[in-house]
Amino acid sequence: MISLHNVSKSFSGVPVIQSISLSIAQGDIHGIIGASGAGKSTLLRLINLLETPDSGTVEVSGHKLTALTNKQLRQTRKSIGMIFQHFNLVANKTVYENVLVALELAKYPKGERRKRALECLRFVGLEHFQTKYPAQLSGGQKQRVAIARALANHPNVLLCDEPTSSLDPHTTAEILTVLTDINQRLGVTIVLVSHEMKVIKSICNRVTVMTEGTVHDTFSITPKGIQETESSAGHLVEQLMDDGDRDA
Amino acid sequence: MTVIAMPEVLIQYQAEIWQAIGETFIMVGVSILAAILIGLPVGTVLFICRRGQAFENQTVFSVVNLFVNVIRSFPFLLLVVFLIPFTRLLIGTAIGTAAATVPLSIIAIAHYSRLVEQALLDVPKGVMEAAISMGASMKEVIIKFLYVEARSGLVLGLTTSIISFISYSTIMGVVGGGGIGDFAIRYGYQQFKTDLMVYMIVIMIILVQLIQFTGTSVSRWIDKR
Ligand SMILES: Nc1ncnc2c1ncn2[C@@H]1O[C@H](COP(=O)(O)OP(=O)(O)OP(=O)(O)O)[C@@H](O)[C@H]1O
Ligand SMILES: [Mg+2]
Repeated sequence: MISLHNVSKSFSGVPVIQSISLSIAQGDIHGIIGASGAGKSTLLRLINLLETPDSGTVEVSGHKLTALTNKQLRQTRKSIGMIFQHFNLVANKTVYENVLVALELAKYPKGERRKRALECLRFVGLEHFQTKYPAQLSGGQKQRVAIARALANHPNVLLCDEPTSSLDPHTTAEILTVLTDINQRLGVTIVLVSHEMKVIKSICNRVTVMTEGTVHDTFSITPKGIQETESSAGHLVEQLMDDGDRDA
Repeated sequence: MTVIAMPEVLIQYQAEIWQAIGETFIMVGVSILAAILIGLPVGTVLFICRRGQAFENQTVFSVVNLFVNVIRSFPFLLLVVFLIPFTRLLIGTAIGTAAATVPLSIIAIAHYSRLVEQALLDVPKGVMEAAISMGASMKEVIIKFLYVEARSGLVLGLTTSIISFISYSTIMGVVGGGGIGDFAIRYGYQQFKTDLMVYMIVIMIILVQLIQFTGTSVSRWIDKR
């Protein structure tokens, strides 16, 4: 499904990705974990050529991205979804318009755009928020809009860069549930970059550990499942009390 | 019923005043058109070609940047004089309101393009990245993402520009451009009709207030961030 072959990338002479080869199979939820600055985000961005590799080849769904013309590359990107830590929604567009724009870019049949946009919003449980603006949503809701936007054009790959890193544990569990759903119900291959061990362990079936621009190891794991964390005030107090006695 | 009496000098010079207002509107109107039709694209080029941007292009950036800087380095009066041959080539004469719109449009383009560049710089980089990841072309990134996200800054910038254009237009008397500023100088100052000059200044103040109020309101109304 995705294969990188001897891919290297440096920024102003500093090597950030050093001759990495990696293949990710269809239907996987593939985690990428590593210390800050290890090059996780850069590696992910090399998959849809948001960063152009200095050398090596990138192949996604049978397309050799590194050999395509600009126009062909844009076409291929329309079937590779991507979501980000900071959501990157258009703040001046409503929730509905944010999803719609993905369909416009993809030249989705005009008469079906509305139906498809609403379908995607329903999938992430936000169909009642279509006229709201991103500023009126919580972080978790914004990420769900971003997911709906990424799903709009039926991608076969979804790239996720720290999608839960600015969310609380409860919302994180919600987003991870949506991602698992996308993988299982829609058969989308997911690449998930995170520095949170818990996130990787809960849903990934294969993991790459990165260090200083190289792959330390890649192996299979059994996803532990998403732990439903409670976020009620009472539960928070309980958790705080668990680890030590309350003062006075 | 009370009737507010119109000051006599205003009634006396009615025709000239209306003509001067008309000339100012033509000069400023053409400047606004130039700013939007050419300044906006020029500012967009400055933004998307700058270093570190997705469509980085050092050569294009340097050329456009130099052009804008050179235009803006001229004291405006000198620019008007310097452009006389060019104006003559374009309009057929270097004198009159139509001729005056040429240097005004040139400065308008340079002025607004800088403010466009600044407004676009305020758009979070991630928004452009998301657009590119969805397969947007350069044109689509600009129209469907950049301009949408920067729209209130673009409107505020245009407001600031328009007010500067009014100010620039007041000196176009030197090439017979006319306008409110020219009228105030010729009748108010040179013919010692101080009251007339003060009335003209009041008209300018009202005009500027109206433009600023409209610009601020519109930019606030379209800002959903
Ligand atoms: N556009 C860029 N220009 C210059 N240097 C960059 C650029 N992008 C990344 N780097 C550098 O490349 C290295 C790897 O960055 P990257 O963002 O891939 O790390 P990461 O593993 O995702 O880290 P984090 O967990 O903090 O997000 C860092 O040292 C970073 O400073
Ligand atoms: Mg990162």
